[in-house]
Amino acid sequence: MHEFSLIRSLLKQVTAIKQEHGASAVERIRVQIGPLSGVERELVELAFAQEVDSTPCQGAELEIEVIALTVDCRSCGTQTEVVDFHFQCALCSSTDVVIASGDQFLIQDVELQIPDYASTENLS
Amino acid sequence: MNDTKTVNVQRDVKAELQRQAQTLREESALQGMFIVNMLSSPGAGKTSLLEATAKHMNARGRRMAVLVGDLETDRDAQRLAPHCPVEQLTTGGACHLEIPLVKKGLAGLRQQQGLAGLRQQQGLKHLGRDDFDFLFIENVGNLVCPASHDLAEHLRVVLLSVTEGDDKPGKYPKMFRTSQAMLISKLDLLEHVPFNVEDATTDAHKIQPDLKTFSVCALDGRGIETWCQYLEECRNHMLEQTSNLASSST
Repeated sequence: MHEFSLIRSLLKQVTAIKQEHGASAVERIRVQIGPLSGVERELVELAFAQEVDSTPCQGAELEIEVIALTVDCRSCGTQTEVVDFHFQCALCSSTDVVIASGDQFLIQDVELQIPDYASTENLS
Repeated sequence: MNDTKTVNVQRDVKAELQRQAQTLREESALQGMFIVNMLSSPGAGKTSLLEATAKHMNARGRRMAVLVGDLETDRDAQRLAPHCPVEQLTTGGACHLEIPLVKKGLAGLRQQQGLAGLRQQQGLKHLGRDDFDFLFIENVGNLVCPASHDLAEHLRVVLLSVTEGDDKPGKYPKMFRTSQAMLISKLDLLEHVPFNVEDATTDAHKIQPDLKTFSVCALDGRGIETWCQYLEECRNHMLEQTSNLASSST
């Protein structure tokens, strides 16, 4: 189970973003996972709940979007979903495919609270 | 009053570690050091295979070294020490290795071998033969988490012992999808267990059609020569690619 170390890394990265933008708080962190991300949703949630309040991201909500595992076919050019981890094009059955989505643990975006005195002109 | 602002990130949580791994991979290629990340469940025979590999490599005058990852103890390092330079990486309970620990271990190995100073004098661009030809990273025994961590390897190998059962590839798809080679180990026990090599291979190829497969027995030496030959071919390929890259960039 490596979700805890990944969540600590995520919180460090979000803390850096928070500081960079002079935010007073982090409201929401949106992440994306898939069947081949190497993490389990429940464990990500558990690790986040346990770690977040001891960091500057305290109070932030984690929004997890679970996406499908898809491949791009290099023979026919179609993008299809992988069924039962059988890596082939669902349309033409070619095995010459590359993963298009579902293998990352992606930080999509971060919603920050910006105090008035730290508005964008002060940052430039 | 507070304003809300959304910052678009679109970055993998491990992006920084992946960048570090890529840098080390490129540096190592320039030095002619081929890195192999070895993964399996606990007790599949990684250390035994490395002992057999080291004997074979030594006989051919190849310089190999091992970084061995375990939760606790230096027992594997002690087993390998008579055969090749080895550095134990103890994760203190963590289930996988990450790139900073690998870098630390590599620095330790070079220190141990008196390579650190020499390398610095020659600079990274120098394709000297002062370094190891092969660096093996024996990962923590685990078919799950190590699959997600790039350790700067040029080749990722997964070991599957015949005592584990031939249905493992489908159960641990990420491990088999991200590997380039699969070694079926403990061939000497095959007659005693209901393991079908063909079924395991078929299952693995559904997940990774390009997976190279080998069968080995570290104890009686079966398959070791073919395995070592494959490693030599892979390393030669890396050297060719590196020199092509160097000549095209000048």
